[in-house]
Amino acid sequence: MTRTVLALAIFFLTLCGCAKEEPVPPEVKLAEAQEFNLWRAGAPLYLQEPFARYRDALDKAKNSLIRVNSRFRWFRDYQPVQAEFVRVLKQGDELFKLLEIEKQNRAMRVGEQMADLRERLQHLDQCSRMTNENRASRIRLTKAEVILNEVRTLYEREQYRASEEKLKDVETHLSHAEKLIIPVLSRYKDKGQVRKWKKWTEETIEESAGREIHSVVVVKADRKLFLYKNGKLFKTYPVGLGRSGWSDKQRARDNATPEGRYRIIGKNPRTPYHRALLINYPNEEDWEEFHRAKKRGLLPETARIGGSIEIHGGGNKGMTYGCISLANDHMEELYTIVEVGTPIAIVGALDRQNSLSSALTGIQNGRTKKKTP
Amino acid sequence: MKRVRWIVVGFVVMAFVAGCGTKPQQEIDATTAAMNAVISEGLGKYAPEDEKKLKDAMAAVNAELQVQEGKTFKNFDKTKQLLADLTKMAADMKAALPAKKEKAKQEAMAAMEAAKAALADAKTMLAKAPKGKGAAADIEALRGDVKGAEEMLPEVQGLIEKEDFNAAMTKANAIKDKATAVGDQVKKALEKVQGMKAPAKK
Repeated sequence: MTRTVLALAIFFLTLCGCAKEEPVPPEVKLAEAQEFNLWRAGAPLYLQEPFARYRDALDKAKNSLIRVNSRFRWFRDYQPVQAEFVRVLKQGDELFKLLEIEKQNRAMRVGEQMADLRERLQHLDQCSRMTNENRASRIRLTKAEVILNEVRTLYEREQYRASEEKLKDVETHLSHAEKLIIPVLSRYKDKGQVRKWKKWTEETIEESAGREIHSVVVVKADRKLFLYKNGKLFKTYPVGLGRSGWSDKQRARDNATPEGRYRIIGKNPRTPYHRALLINYPNEEDWEEFHRAKKRGLLPETARIGGSIEIHGGGNKGMTYGCISLANDHMEELYTIVEVGTPIAIVGALDRQNSLSSALTGIQNGRTKKKTP
Repeated sequence: MKRVRWIVVGFVVMAFVAGCGTKPQQEIDATTAAMNAVISEGLGKYAPEDEKKLKDAMAAVNAELQVQEGKTFKNFDKTKQLLADLTKMAADMKAALPAKKEKAKQEAMAAMEAAKAALADAKTMLAKAPKGKGAAADIEALRGDVKGAEEMLPEVQGLIEKEDFNAAMTKANAIKDKATAVGDQVKKALEKVQGMKAPAKK
C-alpha cells in the first residue's frame, strides 16, 4: 500500500512539474512585437529579402523555443534560446534603420519624379494651348494630372511603391499627349519647311517692291499680319488663326489655316465679321497637294478640299475655322488699303528659332531629363 | 493482491494522461473555420492590422500545440484556452467588419458624388461660353479637360464595384480637384472673352 501511494505521489509530482507554466524569456515577446512593428512600417514591401531573412531567423528561434518547452522542466535550458532571440532583436533593429533609409530614398525619388512629370505636364499644357490641339491631347493631359493628384495623396500617406506604379501611368499619358502635339510643332523646326516659307515671303515682298504695290505676309508662329508697301514694312497687326491653325490646311473642315502664296480675289463689306477679304484658296499647288494626299491614302476618298478662306474682322483672340481674323479697327484699315489682286503669303515661321520650335525643344528636353538617371 | 494494486495504479495513470493529453481537434477545426470566415470577407482589405494579429495569434496556438505534442505527458488546457480566445477574436472582428466596409463604401460613394458635382459645375459654366467660330482657345482647351476628367469617372465606379474603396476615394478626390480647377479657369476665361460676339456658324 505504501509503495502504491509513493508511486502515485511520484507520478503526480512529475506531472505537476510538466504542467507548470513554461517561463518564456522576455526577448520572445519583444521579438514578436518588433516583427509586428516592422510589418506595419512596410518592411515586407520595401525590404523584401532582408525581412524574409529576419523572419527565417525569428522562426528558427521560435522552433528552438518549442523544442526546449517540449522537454521535461528539469531538463530545459533557455539560455541558448534567449541568445537566439537577442540576435533576432539586433537583426530587427538593423532592419528598422535600413527601412528608414530605404523609405527616405524612395520618398526622394518619388518626389523628384512627381516634380519632373508635373513640369512636363505644365509645358505640354502650354504647348497644347499654343497649338490649339484641344481635344485628344487635353484628354491625355487631364488624365495625367488626375493621376498625379492621386500620387500626391499616396505620397503623403508614405505609400511609395503604389506611387511609383501610378507614376508609370502618368508617363504613358504624357507620352501620348506628346505624340499628338509634336507633329504640329516639328514643322516649325524643319530646315526645309522654314526655307520654303522664307522663299514665299521674300517673293511676296519682292513683288510688292517690283510692282510698287501692297502685299501681305501672315506669319503664324508670330500670329501677325505684316502689310508691305513698295517692299517696305508698313503696318503690323495681331491675328487669330484657325482652330487647328498651326497646321497647313489639307481639306474641308480641318479648321487649319492654309499656307502658300495667294491673292485677294474679293472684298466683302457686308459680312458678320465686319469686313472680309477673300483669298484664292485653294490654288493650283493646293489642288496638287490634295490629290497627292488622297493617292497616298492620307485623306479619305470622300474628303473635299474646302474653301472660303478669308481675312476678316471679328477680333484676333478667338479661333476660326481656318480664316485669319483681326480686330475690327485693324480690319477696317487693312480693307481700305489693299485691293483685289494684292499678293498674300501665309507662312508658318521665318526663323527656325520661333515660339513653336522652342516649345518642341522644351518637350525634347523634358524627355531627355526623364531618361537621365 | 500486489498485482491488483499495480493494475489500479496503471489505470489511474492512464486515465490521467488520457484526460489531459487529447489533441483538441474539434476546437482547432472550429477556430480555423472562424478565422477563414472573417478573412474571406475581406478582413485584410478593411483592417489589415487585425488580420495580421489574427494570423500571429494562430501561429502562437500552433507553437503551443507543437510544444505539447513534443511531450510525453501532454496537457492541452492552455491550447484550448488560446483557441477559445482566438475564436472569440475572429468572431468579434467578423461582427465589426460589415460596419467598417459600409463606412468605407459610403465614403467612396460620397467622394464620387462630389467629383460628379464639381464636373457638373464646370460643364454648366462652359455651357455659357461661346462656341464655334470666335471661341477662345482657352475655353476649347477646358472643354477637352472636362471630357478627360469625365472619362475617368467610370474608373471610380469600377473600383467601388471591386470593393477597393480606398483607391476609389483617392481617385474621386483627384478628379474633383481637377474639375474644381477647371471650373475656376472657366470663370477666368469667361471674364476674358466677355464682350466677344458669338457670331453664327460659318
